Amino acid sequence: MRTALLIARKDLRQRMRDRSAIVLGLVAPLLIAALMSFAFKGTETFHYQLGVVNEDHGAIATELVHALSSSTSRSILTVENLSSPAAARADVHDGHVAAALVIPAGFSAAVAQQHPESLSIVTSVNNQVAGNVTRSIAASFVAQIDADRLSVMTALAGGAPANTLNALSAKAATLRIPLQSVERPIGAGQLSAISYYSPAMAIFFLLFTISFASRSFFVDRTQGMIERMRAAPVRPAEILAGKALSVLVYGTLSLATVGVITSTAFGANWGSPFAAVLLGFAMVISVVCLTALVIGVARTQRQAEGFSSILVFGLALLGGNFIVISSSPPLMRTLALFTPNGEAMRGFSDLSTIGGGLGTVATPIAVILLFSALTGGAAMALARRAVS
Amino acid sequence: MAAMPDGPLLRCEKLRRSFGDRAAVDGISLSISPGEIYGLLGPNGAGKTTMIKMVCGLLEPDGGEVTVGGRHVSTDLSVKSLIGYVPQDIALYPDLTASENLSFIARLYKLTSDVVRERVAEVLELCELSDRANDRVDSFSGGMKRRLNIGAGLLHHPQLLVLDEPTVGVDPQSRHSILERVQEFGRTGMAVLYTTHYMEEAERVCNRVGIIDHGRLIAEGTRRELVERLGERDRIELSATGNLEAFAAACRALPGVDSVATTADAVQVVASDGRRMLPHLLEAGEPIDVTVNAIDVTEPNLETVFLHLTGTALRD
Amino acid sequence: MRALAIARASTRRIIRDRTALFFLLVLPIIVIIIVGATVRGFSTFRVGVDSVGSGAAGQRIVTALDHSRGIDIAIYTDQKSLTTALARGEISVGVLLPAGLDAVESEAKPATVTIFAEQVNSAQQAAATAVSSVILGQGALVQSASFAAAHSSSSYNQALALATSLQGTTPHVGLRNVSADTSASTLPQGYSYSAPTELVLFVFLSALAGGAAIIETRRLGMYERMLAGPVRARTIIAGEALTYFLLALVQSALIIVVGAIAFGVSWGNPLAAAALVITWALVGAGAGLLSGTLFRTPEQASAIGPTAGIALAMLGGCMWPLSIVSTTMREIGHVTPQAWAVDAWTSLLSRHGTITTIAPQLGVLAAFAVVLLSVSSLRLYQRLR
Repeated sequence: MRTALLIARKDLRQRMRDRSAIVLGLVAPLLIAALMSFAFKGTETFHYQLGVVNEDHGAIATELVHALSSSTSRSILTVENLSSPAAARADVHDGHVAAALVIPAGFSAAVAQQHPESLSIVTSVNNQVAGNVTRSIAASFVAQIDADRLSVMTALAGGAPANTLNALSAKAATLRIPLQSVERPIGAGQLSAISYYSPAMAIFFLLFTISFASRSFFVDRTQGMIERMRAAPVRPAEILAGKALSVLVYGTLSLATVGVITSTAFGANWGSPFAAVLLGFAMVISVVCLTALVIGVARTQRQAEGFSSILVFGLALLGGNFIVISSSPPLMRTLALFTPNGEAMRGFSDLSTIGGGLGTVATPIAVILLFSALTGGAAMALARRAVS
Repeated sequence: MAAMPDGPLLRCEKLRRSFGDRAAVDGISLSISPGEIYGLLGPNGAGKTTMIKMVCGLLEPDGGEVTVGGRHVSTDLSVKSLIGYVPQDIALYPDLTASENLSFIARLYKLTSDVVRERVAEVLELCELSDRANDRVDSFSGGMKRRLNIGAGLLHHPQLLVLDEPTVGVDPQSRHSILERVQEFGRTGMAVLYTTHYMEEAERVCNRVGIIDHGRLIAEGTRRELVERLGERDRIELSATGNLEAFAAACRALPGVDSVATTADAVQVVASDGRRMLPHLLEAGEPIDVTVNAIDVTEPNLETVFLHLTGTALRD
Repeated sequence: MRALAIARASTRRIIRDRTALFFLLVLPIIVIIIVGATVRGFSTFRVGVDSVGSGAAGQRIVTALDHSRGIDIAIYTDQKSLTTALARGEISVGVLLPAGLDAVESEAKPATVTIFAEQVNSAQQAAATAVSSVILGQGALVQSASFAAAHSSSSYNQALALATSLQGTTPHVGLRNVSADTSASTLPQGYSYSAPTELVLFVFLSALAGGAAIIETRRLGMYERMLAGPVRARTIIAGEALTYFLLALVQSALIIVVGAIAFGVSWGNPLAAAALVITWALVGAGAGLLSGTLFRTPEQASAIGPTAGIALAMLGGCMWPLSIVSTTMREIGHVTPQAWAVDAWTSLLSRHGTITTIAPQLGVLAAFAVVLLSVSSLRLYQRLR
């Protein structure tokens, strides 16, 4: 064990002396996470300016404008009164308002009549969401009026005498659509970009350790250092343990530093620290095993470099370190769960949104450890050959 | 250190090792006593490095056994503390300093921190690198690296020092100091196993020489014993142009010629009385249009022995 | 032409390196596929529905949601998996239909459908309003059917059928869409988004990482050997620049061809696209040469190069459209050549841009190329002398 520690310490010293290791392990993930955080600052809460042109000023129009400025709507939009439909189009075109609603003259008067006026929603291709939201709010507002008219028409069609139209209309006006919806937050935190990309980048650059460590192994071997160690009273297992230990320590340090800095300086939410630490540690273990696998499979330094870079980018792509995997098609979501980093990303996102502790990440941790056992086992058989 | 048993320190018994169906080492037995410098000579691919790797426990023999101080190298890990290994290529971390390299290697031998400090200073002194202790190895010259490479094998005060061609690619001055140091090690009671290409090195430093070829030990003894085995024989080198193979064959057919070898531009002949043979040898070249440009007759030495035994010159 | 010979040797070395080929040719295509498959469906909301126990009335709502334009539904069988899927962002909104929804119809008992959504999430809000209007539409039918059943001779079910058939023809308050004729500021979705952005990203990134080859060649002493012969330093620089330029062109051509054939990406005006690809390849060649002179070891180049490439791509809008970030970030982003290249592609793909419309971007990119190439040539020249 002492020898393993000695080898690990020597490896770490070399790693720390290598500027590119510092860049990849620390600077790069922090830089990119910071970039993400600045890029998305203020864009994660949805709010838009809605231009309203009220050419009607009738009772229902006033009610509609009221509804738009009500407390529920206020959180997603701010109403700005505009003078004319032309002004509304110009303002939407120029991006002064994200969308506009035009209430035509005579809207209130005609609303309950045979031929109601139409509301116009001015939209821009660059802000389709604002247009859609405006449309849905307006639709919900007129839904009751339309439902009342439909009720009367259905009654008449169903055999009610035509002369009862006015009475029916009066009665229908008191109705309320019996099926309403209410929005409820699930209490899960929002998965902010910084909370997703902090672990994503930390893990992505952690994966680079595979390249580094496997390369360093082959460099050691061509330099005759592995042979020198074996000429000393050192068991092959001790050499492997030392190498693994250095990857473990380096990986843990890199992941932990990025975790601490992103959560304190950039406000990333890594969830329960205890669970996050365990999950991160499991991820580091899988990196150790993958490194061993690369060392076992590759025969030369060049092969190791090739295998590991393909492995790193393949895993990062599949596991969702570049893109938010949950918004991808189900097949890719499933594939992601076959990678240790995909499982870890799932775990970290869950910690950040659903919260909870160890229970939340028990499955990811178990799967990552199983994955590690499989790769590590395969590596063990192969890696012994690499040492001897 | 364990009490030194009487008799040989290193004992190799009928060592065998094959790679595929090629026998690299085919039943070699040898032993080295404390204070003895043993030179292992052989052409490229003769099995020298395979031998060394088996002695140091880096390679498992297919058959036979290696013992150092009476303990088996392949089964007893602690035996390795008795052996100092100096690999042929420089095995040091270029990105660590000289003292970091040495203290790492010293700790591999499970020395305590105090001893490590002491030994590192001692080896740096020995390598004349004390003033460069904290410089990275990649800033060193080739000779400095060589010295440090050898020093690294001495940190744990081994009883057996194994040097695999330590002077390859070394300037004459450094070579001289390395050889001197090796002789000193022998004087202090260390057993040294030394492989080399250079005959004159072996002549100079080794007490005993083993010649291996095709995985077999074909001769062994002190320099004097080996040379005497040849009897009063001379080596005649004929630098010539023309069909040297045919010339060699013609020489070989002459009575009184013991062996003939060819190099790129010369034919070497070992004969009992060189001076008397000369005219016959020159005559042999005439009918096949071989022009002899220079003739060199030397008294028997290790190189002659080697030539005689293996039929090839060592350096080709 | 000795520069050509140098370019040929450099190219040959890169092509022999299977890992380099993977990063040059295979990886970009894989990324385009993955990103293309992910960055689509912004216009359709994925709506998760838990309708367990909601009966026939609930089933009608599910059907209505399913038939709504712009809504894809996924069925969940318990509230927990529904909210978990929402928390993970696998669905934009979760709809919980209460048990015993049938009572709304049979006993005219009002009911409330829960829509799980977060107020602060734009996509979830938009999805929630869309779902909410579908539910109100269904509610309108229920209201009409109950009303008609009470005030006419029809039974509830007859009235419901009547209401459903009348819903389309009964006059209602129209919602007219008026386009403000804004020109699109983002790329289209799907592969038309991923292919051009990844082209911009990878050509630059490969060039930066490829700088390792120059450092390696220098280390091997090959430049010295060339200079010992009758070769001028500027010939070597030209040869290396040519290598990177050609590789960038090959990579771009591959992405364009695969994008057009396999993913149906329309690359816009061919002349403008060709001009853009060539200008961008020049920028890439400059970046590659610069990386070859900036870093000390090949390892540094292959470690820091991709990182810098990814960071610049993020700033420059290759990872997400710059229209969604703050104005400051957008301005900072335009310090990178990537932003100008993406802008130009957006013009070509989304606004039928021509060589005239993208002339400003081409100008800026050409300036980038000139600066990068001259700075790196100068540095390489100094190192070779």
